[in-house]
Amino acid sequence: MTAEQHARIRVRQRRRREFGRHLVLGLVAFILVAPFYYVLLASLKDSTEIFSYPPKLLPIPPYFGNYRDLLWNTGFLRWMFNTFFVATSVTVLKVFLDSMAGYALAKIEFTGRRLVFLLMIILLMVPIGALIVPLWSMVSGLGLINTYWALILPPLANPLGAILMRQFILGLPRDLENAARLDGLSEFAIYWRIVLPLIKPGLVVLAVIIFTDQFMSFTWPLIATTSDELQVLTVGIAAMRAHGGANYGLWSASAVMSLVPIGVFFFVLQRQFLARSLAGALKQ
Amino acid sequence: MGLDARVMPAAPSGRLRLAPEEHRRLSRNRRLKREVLGWAFLAPMFLCFVIFLVLPVLGTVWWSLRSGGLAGDTKFVGLKNFIDLPDIVGASAAVTNTLVFALISVPLILVGALAIALLLARIERGGSIYRFLIYFPVLVPGVVAALIWLFMTNVDFGLFNGVVRGLGGKPVVWLGADHALTVLAILDVWRNVGYWALFFVAAIIGLPKELYQAAELDGASAFARLRYLTLPLMRRIIFFAVVVATIWGLQVFDTALVLTSGGPGTATTTVIYRVWLYMFGATNKIGVASAISLVLIVTILLLTLVQMRLLRGRRGGD
Repeated sequence: MTAEQHARIRVRQRRRREFGRHLVLGLVAFILVAPFYYVLLASLKDSTEIFSYPPKLLPIPPYFGNYRDLLWNTGFLRWMFNTFFVATSVTVLKVFLDSMAGYALAKIEFTGRRLVFLLMIILLMVPIGALIVPLWSMVSGLGLINTYWALILPPLANPLGAILMRQFILGLPRDLENAARLDGLSEFAIYWRIVLPLIKPGLVVLAVIIFTDQFMSFTWPLIATTSDELQVLTVGIAAMRAHGGANYGLWSASAVMSLVPIGVFFFVLQRQFLARSLAGALKQ
Repeated sequence: MGLDARVMPAAPSGRLRLAPEEHRRLSRNRRLKREVLGWAFLAPMFLCFVIFLVLPVLGTVWWSLRSGGLAGDTKFVGLKNFIDLPDIVGASAAVTNTLVFALISVPLILVGALAIALLLARIERGGSIYRFLIYFPVLVPGVVAALIWLFMTNVDFGLFNGVVRGLGGKPVVWLGADHALTVLAILDVWRNVGYWALFFVAAIIGLPKELYQAAELDGASAFARLRYLTLPLMRRIIFFAVVVATIWGLQVFDTALVLTSGGPGTATTTVIYRVWLYMFGATNKIGVASAISLVLIVTILLLTLVQMRLLRGRRGGD
């Protein structure tokens, strides 16, 4: 066999393997995404079509009654506003607080910082869901149940952001801040004008992590609010499911509508979203 | 921000000479300033951390030693709640359900994710499309995911039974007592497999390429490379994933509430679900609710410690 033939066989073999991988991955992706198409389809059918068998694979003509119903006859828009308001507030506050704390833990040698860091690592994984009894009694003792404060304040406690920010800031070269210190900059100015711009990519990743976690959070908002005005998206949808009777058209429309904003964000900020998966690795 | 002569302190000529007590005073001042600055920067976040995380953890311990309801008076009962815990049907069923849930979902998630990652790390083109599609279910709130699955598992017109009928089988009652917990676990696999797949892809790409080239030259098969190179090299990463995925699995609540309402009966009532029921659906159960919460917290803390030991080992070892 000549070298040329040998090379050709290898190329062919490589192509065949590549094709096999695409086949399997394509199938996996299809299975994972199929439910979305299924629910989108259902949301564009009226109630008789939803129950008909065999199902129509294309919604022609599309029926928009479910969406009309959702937007005008439920609190959907209000839920969406609440979710965005709370998630944005938490994100802005937390990025600020966490980066400051991360700066202190990484760059300032004060007594107790090792202990603080250790405590944060130890409690990192304790979920808010396991703390609802004392949290509820504390927040209601403060008179904050059914206020936006009840939704915004407790999530600020999560130490993940401070730990990530510490890690990012530790990676910065010391020379920069030393030069700034020689320039006579105050510690806050060093943090604000030198460190923050340098860790911008990290800040964006952190913001994405916090925002999506807030967007998806359910347990605490469920417990912290009882009034309809303050329901966030997840709580509103759960309430609709629990009290509204089985309305599959409405349910599927609400599923589609709540996925639109997060889908758009994901599409625009793909890299930062995927870095969420790496946040775990960063912790190491 | 260049070096500006006007802002620069005057450079001392030769070595700076200070009297010893002057030197001590200055360094004490500097140390004091560091302390104040450090705590000032940390304080806003740390206060939230203490008030809304450290105190509630301690609060759970306090509540777990008492009996009574949220609104009324509570009294100290010592360890009674913990002693009673195994005999309280609802509580022990919740613990069992949660453990079974994690035992089904975690291995499926991680094996699936690893398989996807192995393929995804080696394809030459189109990786970003797959990553987008595979990751998308991760971003679906549990409540919405459950709503979608409520649809798909419907006995009469759901997608699952559509497939079953297409294959010539009899329709299955997916959310009946036999299958509900499994369906709930599979739903979790759907939501989490993408997260860990991308986590593993990053790890695989970071593996040393020379080892693989050497193995290929030695004629090692793809399976041998996986068995003797990839898996051993990723041992710690995989263990990390097992611990974290388990911790997440133990927290399942929102999908159970929306998909099955904890039922049929208590077949899918999980730990946090039970805590919630005891808080708002029952009277005088606040101590028991806190006791189960504490069991969950301690379990999670133990898993965290295992993982910390592991990571410390990594730093010292390879």
